[in-house]
Amino acid sequence: MSEPKPPTDRRDFLLKLGAGAGVAAITVQAGASLRSLVPNVSYDAPTTVKLGLPAEFPDGLKFLPDERVLVFREGKTFHAISAVCTHLGCTVRAEALASPQTADAGGASLRLTHRFLCPCHGSEYKGDGTNVAGPAPKPLAWFRLLIAPDDGQLVIDLADEVDRDFRLTVG
Amino acid sequence: MRWPSLNRTKPEAPGVHAEPFWSFRPQSDREAGDAVVSNFMLHWFPAKISKASMAWNYSFWLGTISGALFFLTILSGLPLLFLYVPSVERAYQSVKDIEYVITFGSWIRAVHRISAHLMVIVVSLHLVRVFLTGAYKNGIGRGQQREVNWLIGVVMFLVTLFLSFTGYLLPWDQLAFWAVTVGTNIASSIPAVGPAVRELMIGGRNIDQATLIRFYVLHVVFLPGLLGVLFAYHMWRVRKDGGLARADAESALETPQATKPVKSKTYTLLGVARGTAPTVTARSIEAQGATVNAVPDLVRRAAIATLGTIAVVSIMSVFIASPLEEPANALITPNPAKAPWYFLWLQEIVTDTTIRIGSFTLNGAFIGGVILPGILVGVLMFWPWLDKSSHLAAGAWMPRERRTQNITFLVIILFVLALTFVGMALRGPYWNFYWPWEAWPAIPGRI
Repeated sequence: MSEPKPPTDRRDFLLKLGAGAGVAAITVQAGASLRSLVPNVSYDAPTTVKLGLPAEFPDGLKFLPDERVLVFREGKTFHAISAVCTHLGCTVRAEALASPQTADAGGASLRLTHRFLCPCHGSEYKGDGTNVAGPAPKPLAWFRLLIAPDDGQLVIDLADEVDRDFRLTVG
Repeated sequence: MRWPSLNRTKPEAPGVHAEPFWSFRPQSDREAGDAVVSNFMLHWFPAKISKASMAWNYSFWLGTISGALFFLTILSGLPLLFLYVPSVERAYQSVKDIEYVITFGSWIRAVHRISAHLMVIVVSLHLVRVFLTGAYKNGIGRGQQREVNWLIGVVMFLVTLFLSFTGYLLPWDQLAFWAVTVGTNIASSIPAVGPAVRELMIGGRNIDQATLIRFYVLHVVFLPGLLGVLFAYHMWRVRKDGGLARADAESALETPQATKPVKSKTYTLLGVARGTAPTVTARSIEAQGATVNAVPDLVRRAAIATLGTIAVVSIMSVFIASPLEEPANALITPNPAKAPWYFLWLQEIVTDTTIRIGSFTLNGAFIGGVILPGILVGVLMFWPWLDKSSHLAAGAWMPRERRTQNITFLVIILFVLALTFVGMALRGPYWNFYWPWEAWPAIPGRI
């Protein structure tokens, strides 16, 4: 047997209903406001970019500031390394080596002509992007290069990181 | 200043003051009390305040000066609101106009910038003062919760830093762009959620229009509003906790003694009806001469601190120009790229804390930028609950009982200052170490 309900019960219920409705309204408002700050459409630059005809690239290194990427050419083969420092995102600067070396990068041989230095916290990378000094936690990223089927331009996919044995050979 | 009072035709209702004005030169305690009750700006003052807690060499009035600087940033920010355009195409040009075209523009911008920088310094000093005097500790009063006010104060300190940092981006010059690049990349070094947190902060993958408008709204609406609310609550809590800890320290020193009744106080009959003459038992803080009326004594000192701050900032702003570098350029990182000075100690730490265990690497940005400051702020926030010294150590400079924690605190502060100095003065291109008298090498040109 339950006790007879006190006469204030309906008033109590309405009070709780009102308070609950208030809390729910504020929660939904706050949720909607916060969700609106998460962008649904990105107006960032696209990640797949045409870089120009392969013939326009000099042998050695070309820095593309807009994409923040370093494109290397060794005869007919191309590869691209990110110029964004893996520590805190500053743009690294390339410094030409006095004498180029040949090294093994991910199983394939690679001619190293430069080293990369970060101006923000002094991280240093080898010519293949390996971090050798400073606070950088990992090597510079390598990106996939393609040839555009329509006009034969070199295309970089900044969303597609590849291993360090990646080479694009242009026929 | 005494304004003519209106003729009273009706008797005064309890709690209602018929006189519309108040006196800054009260002739009686009643008039002094009336000023506090009837003035909107003075209502947060107590009627009486202990002389000891007003001493210049106890608090150095750092809280009041912080408040005055906050007031100055708002005052100088208002004209800037009319002149600044928060768009990536026009922000830089509008700041350049403020600096070079608009009459008094460079002075107003300098007042805004200098009071903001000084605010970071003075708020930090205020925090140091409260720690060293143990002023977050409760004294003898009932229901005191000074720990809570310390917690609010630490949050206000963080909001001050964040206000300054969001303002840093707005000129949209190289200094702004790269400081914010480095600052927000610290967030992205948090494992798993980092990149998402950064994307929410800057509204995309790159620092662009979405970032500028976010920082702008935080800077001009959200953070000042938050700081204003916290400021009001901070002051209210000071009143609720019985004023500064110094007042407690004064009254805790002596046991209650029999004194003559104090004119300004009310006693029950039980308190006075003993012996042949009226006497009461009171603490020394209640003795006549230990306290003064808040109007005019407290008002006068607060006015001196505030006007002094305004004068110093105004004069400094005439002589110290605000920097404006080249327009922001995402393609060129300045060398060296430095964070704002109050974050340089963190930048120095993130440079040195990358940990490698075998093939496993933990980014220094996460340890130095997130973990270490997180621990420091966490310990700072909850220190009042960890500090087990007695209430006698509250409200006094460097008491013996709190010597170890005060020295530890000072060592940490000195360490932070040393790292700041290294970052400011001794770091050159590629974050290499140079003595101030050493010339920086010519940087080989970019390819």
